[in-house]
Amino acid sequence: MSVLARSVGNAFRNKVRTAAVVAVLAVAIGLALAMLVANQAVAGKVAELNASVGTVLTVNPAGGQGFEGGGEPLTAEQATTAASVPNVSTVVGTKALRLRNADAAAAQTGGPGGLGGQGGPGGQAATTLTTSLTAAVDAGTLGARNQASTGTSGTSGTAPAFSVPITATGIGAEVDTTGKALELTEGTGLGDYTAASTGALLGTTLAEKNGLAVGSTFTINDQSFTVAGLFDAGTAFGNNALYLTLPAAQTLAELPGELSTMIATVNSMENVEAAKTALQEALGSDAADVSQGQRNLESAVSSLGSVKNISFIAFVAALATAGLIILLIMVMLVRERRREIGVLKAIGARNRTIGLQFVLEALVLVALGSAVGAAVASFASGGIASALISSNTATATTVAGQRGIPGGTPGGFPGAPAGGFPGAPGEGPLGGASQLLTSVTASASPGVIAAGIAAVFGVAIIGALVPALLTARIRPIEVLRGE
Amino acid sequence: MIEVKNLVRTFKSGDRTIKPVNDVSFELEQGTLASIVGKSGSGKSTLLSLLGALDKPTSGDVLVNGVSLAGMPDSKLTEYRRRDIGFVFQQFNLIPNLSAVDNVMLPMEFAGIRKAVRLGRARELLEQVQLDPDKHVRRINRLSGGEQQRVAIARALANSPQLILADEPTGNLDEQTGEHIIELLSSLSRDHNTTILVVTHDRSLANKTDRRFRLQQGRLTEEGARNRAAAGSPA
Repeated sequence: MSVLARSVGNAFRNKVRTAAVVAVLAVAIGLALAMLVANQAVAGKVAELNASVGTVLTVNPAGGQGFEGGGEPLTAEQATTAASVPNVSTVVGTKALRLRNADAAAAQTGGPGGLGGQGGPGGQAATTLTTSLTAAVDAGTLGARNQASTGTSGTSGTAPAFSVPITATGIGAEVDTTGKALELTEGTGLGDYTAASTGALLGTTLAEKNGLAVGSTFTINDQSFTVAGLFDAGTAFGNNALYLTLPAAQTLAELPGELSTMIATVNSMENVEAAKTALQEALGSDAADVSQGQRNLESAVSSLGSVKNISFIAFVAALATAGLIILLIMVMLVRERRREIGVLKAIGARNRTIGLQFVLEALVLVALGSAVGAAVASFASGGIASALISSNTATATTVAGQRGIPGGTPGGFPGAPAGGFPGAPGEGPLGGASQLLTSVTASASPGVIAAGIAAVFGVAIIGALVPALLTARIRPIEVLRGE
Repeated sequence: MIEVKNLVRTFKSGDRTIKPVNDVSFELEQGTLASIVGKSGSGKSTLLSLLGALDKPTSGDVLVNGVSLAGMPDSKLTEYRRRDIGFVFQQFNLIPNLSAVDNVMLPMEFAGIRKAVRLGRARELLEQVQLDPDKHVRRINRLSGGEQQRVAIARALANSPQLILADEPTGNLDEQTGEHIIELLSSLSRDHNTTILVVTHDRSLANKTDRRFRLQQGRLTEEGARNRAAAGSPA
């Protein structure tokens, strides 16, 4: 019988006690693993936030935003300047266009208000183009009200049915207007976004409304475009949009080299503030407005950071508890088996052989506890992570609400039913942050569970080493005690 | 050959100093079956533990084939116990959750003997001590006292030691089983040329050994010797 076989046998000597020890260990190990899973999930989310929207700066023409305001448009040279600012990793230019359904536009041209009513301020009427597409969003009360307030003043009579414009954006990379990677649900991207192309990416609802799929064609100003892919922006407003390559949009607008906005991504969250200042200085405050579109995410990430810290501390505490349980159990077993250890020494067992036997016995108990604990963690980790996140984000939301953190930038697109362009849609006190927080999914991945169990075994070995070393102090004369 | 020279072991008990072993000296030739008798608390077990390197003497020395145990490091003493000594304890001291054959294999495992070899030898030894083959794989706690003592003797023989130290080997056994154990020890001593030192308070058992010692208040005196060839079987 080998040391291992003897250790396994010893672990089951007292089945009731073994079951009790395994149950206690399973709770501690399960809790440790659940906390590790939560920690990893939150860490992943924090990294994702830091890597995307949390580090994005939006550059608008000074005095202008979207189709509102005034000032001089941004240029490709300014994009080059922005890219050279320290800590700015990428700069993506955008060119915003408004598309009107050609038939609806023709009908409205003869009616009160005319198309000019939808051009709005900003002198950017040239970027309003006609398309074969029909908007996926009905005008409704908000659209009609916006239309009335911005385009039909001074007229009387019955206005023809108003259709909401479609947002078209020329982009220099596969990102949306907030700098977040586009989530393509079908098809592919547009390839080189810095070259003119007849490909387009359509929002899912816009494609559905027009009966288009990947490979279908549509027109903008009588020029044919092919649907290369579909994306899901997650909102009705966001999905009533399409993306073209930047040069294609500039060509359509007949404004080559002109940009509506620039999306500058900073290399880390810590550098955002400094990069914002540097970018503003480099471009000049009279030429560009630099804003941190998702500033509210700082509090969200901070809140997630707290959850991450709490879960890590709880993981370490649960791990230490498991180690302590092993230590105490093994000390108890060593004390209980002093005589047996003396016998083993009397018949020639080395200290290391006996120590190894006890360490292996501890590991058998830990292996059983880990198996049960992993099962517990796989069921409980999601709930524990949600509980941690909801309790922390509730605090963060309250604090943010008291501070009156605005949700996104003001809407600037007349006729749009909700939200603003190019800023992020407004969604309450924390904007999209609260959604991002609650979207953390704590799934017990095999890798994380394996890493957690490895940590548990490491702690168990340390916990078992102390009693194993105690066995070395037991003298073989113990065997004669009581005889 | 075992030589014991002026062996002393003292213990402190409060202000008092106890000397269970007080200047003990004797020699045993290889293959001798010897006994030490004495009352309870006379120091018999302490002397046995000193001879078996379970304990260290306060002074004096034990020489095994001329090699001194005094000053030997613990690792060497462990090796000595594993290679040269076989213990038979009064309460058997077998590992309760192991089978008879696993208990006998233990000292061989510690000596690094391959599993197949130690399994064969363990079964051979258990047959030698007349344990039924169907009980070889039975757990210790399912064997009778006599059977357990036979397993303990087989375990003591596992690594073919030069010296077997038996502490009250019949103390927990009935008379008939005790007689059988003594016969067994005697035949082992004779057939394997193994030196066997039995500690007992049983006079009749002592009378069946080649040399008889008495331990009284820590001091050892030889009571007599017997010519085994003349006496024939100790039974």
